[in-house]
Amino acid sequence: MRWAAAGAGGVVLLCWPLLVPPYFVFLTSLIVVNAIVAIGLNLLSGYTNQLSFGHAGFFAVGAYVAAVLTLRAPALPVVATLALAGLATALVGLALGIPCLRLEGLYLAMATLAFGFVVVEAILNLDWLTRGNDGLAVPAARLGPLALGSDAAKYYLVLGVGALMVAAAVNIARTRTGRALLAIRESEIAAQASGVHLAAYKTLAFAVSAFYTGVAGGLFAFVVGFISPDAFDVFLSVDFVAMIIVGGLGSIPGSIVGAAVITLLYDWLAAFQNYRPLLFGLILIGCMLFMPGGIASRMAKWTHQAQ
Amino acid sequence: MAAHVTSAAVIHVVVSGLATGSIYALMAISLVIIYNATRTLNFAQGEMLMISTFVGWSAHEALRLPLPLVLLIAVAAAAALGWLVERLVIRHAIAATHLDVLIITLGLSLVLRAAAGLVWTHDEFPFPSFFRERPIGLGPLRVAPVSLGIIGGSLALMLALAALFRWTRLGRAMRAVAQNQRAARLMGVSVERVYSASWVLAAVVGAIAGVLIAPVIFLSSKMGLVAINGFTAAVLGGFGSMPGAVVGGMLLGVLENLAPLWLPAGIKHSVPFLLMIAILVIRPSGVLGRVRQRKV
Repeated sequence: MRWAAAGAGGVVLLCWPLLVPPYFVFLTSLIVVNAIVAIGLNLLSGYTNQLSFGHAGFFAVGAYVAAVLTLRAPALPVVATLALAGLATALVGLALGIPCLRLEGLYLAMATLAFGFVVVEAILNLDWLTRGNDGLAVPAARLGPLALGSDAAKYYLVLGVGALMVAAAVNIARTRTGRALLAIRESEIAAQASGVHLAAYKTLAFAVSAFYTGVAGGLFAFVVGFISPDAFDVFLSVDFVAMIIVGGLGSIPGSIVGAAVITLLYDWLAAFQNYRPLLFGLILIGCMLFMPGGIASRMAKWTHQAQ
Repeated sequence: MAAHVTSAAVIHVVVSGLATGSIYALMAISLVIIYNATRTLNFAQGEMLMISTFVGWSAHEALRLPLPLVLLIAVAAAAALGWLVERLVIRHAIAATHLDVLIITLGLSLVLRAAAGLVWTHDEFPFPSFFRERPIGLGPLRVAPVSLGIIGGSLALMLALAALFRWTRLGRAMRAVAQNQRAARLMGVSVERVYSASWVLAAVVGAIAGVLIAPVIFLSSKMGLVAINGFTAAVLGGFGSMPGAVVGGMLLGVLENLAPLWLPAGIKHSVPFLLMIAILVIRPSGVLGRVRQRKV
């Protein structure tokens, strides 16, 4: 039953560009990109309880590395570009994560918030590379002789990478590493007493989270085709946090659902720019007060009752 | 580059740095007041400042009230807003973790900013000032009266707060709750009343800071961002410490204004954030804070 449902879902996703107009294909690509960020953020915030308000910064690093690589080394296949974007962002994540090991809770939230601002300022100041406020037009991704220019081609690229990232995250969550991260969330002291190396696992979570967000940033650059610093402001970090709050902390399906909900809301409310933050704020408050585990825990409760 | 900087220019920059620094200090104080009561950070502090300043401004525009009355109205609006937020939202999350409350205040900041945009638009408005902008000569120095006014007004407010914490019943209750909530409750302190009072007091301090700074940075829905520098100031001085908040604020204001004299101009906006990361990494307990031992 479950496999049949998953198979049907897979077939629909594969035929999606044939079924719906290009705009919805583009929107679905964005959902997948945001889902990758949400999974990455959830590995850090949901699994080890290290709240980050700076993931727009990682996202920006990934996007700019991918864009600059594509502009300067057009022969590079897109898979290598994305991997390099992810690795570069993971390095930045390590550089931020290791000193932040000493911080927790509020302090970590503030340090990551500051990191997000610094990244935007850095992009503005490195204008010989990033062209500052003017932004960068990103050429189509290349896979050997293929140029992935159409919405459908970009969609398949995003979908393929997204499937890999989801599979990897599910595997991380199920292994020793995932259990160690969850143990850290429940109680750092108890985890340490059970032989979990706190510093190593928290740093690992930071690096993996940054890697996911960096790859997603690279995909975002290709999907949208144009990046500028104002797209990566602190409100984007807040949107990412909203995705995992709405979806459910510490849940991979929850991350995907949360990313879909926030991305679709964002799109539907495009005509009501002024009301959007109002609604997002109310959603955050409402989730925290009335549905602390997000949609994922709600769904778990329903399926539990159904059985 | 440093060779061209005269000492008079440095003093001028330091004075205006102290002026913005006093505003950061007031923001830091209001954040610390709430932190000490509820152990959470109020992300909406800047937006509460912005709303109350806007209410004062509306009263000024509609009724042509004199400035002291505008200040009073802003303070009253802030007190009402602080009380409402605590009563209607924060108190319902009493079982939530500190991070959950942090996210609630984050949501609040989005809501308040959007609401302000709907009521007053997202434009910038000039705000009347108690003090004049034109620099006056003080011996060989030239300083703007508005800088001196902001510094003086802030210092007066800080002294009033210090007196409140030291000598009044409420102040003692707030200090007791900050030290140990359970012990305070056992001694007959109403912790709920202290929560309420903390939100109201923090909002009032914010409103005064808002009325002082609005003539300089203009009144707009974005002016709440000044609270981020308040966070940095509070961290710089050691989060939880009132004298630390004052020292941190002044230090941040001066450093932020001095840095562009020697460093590339583009760095000015990054100074508070780089400073925050640096201080968190090197000495998370801040300049004046004490290292806290965690009990299992």
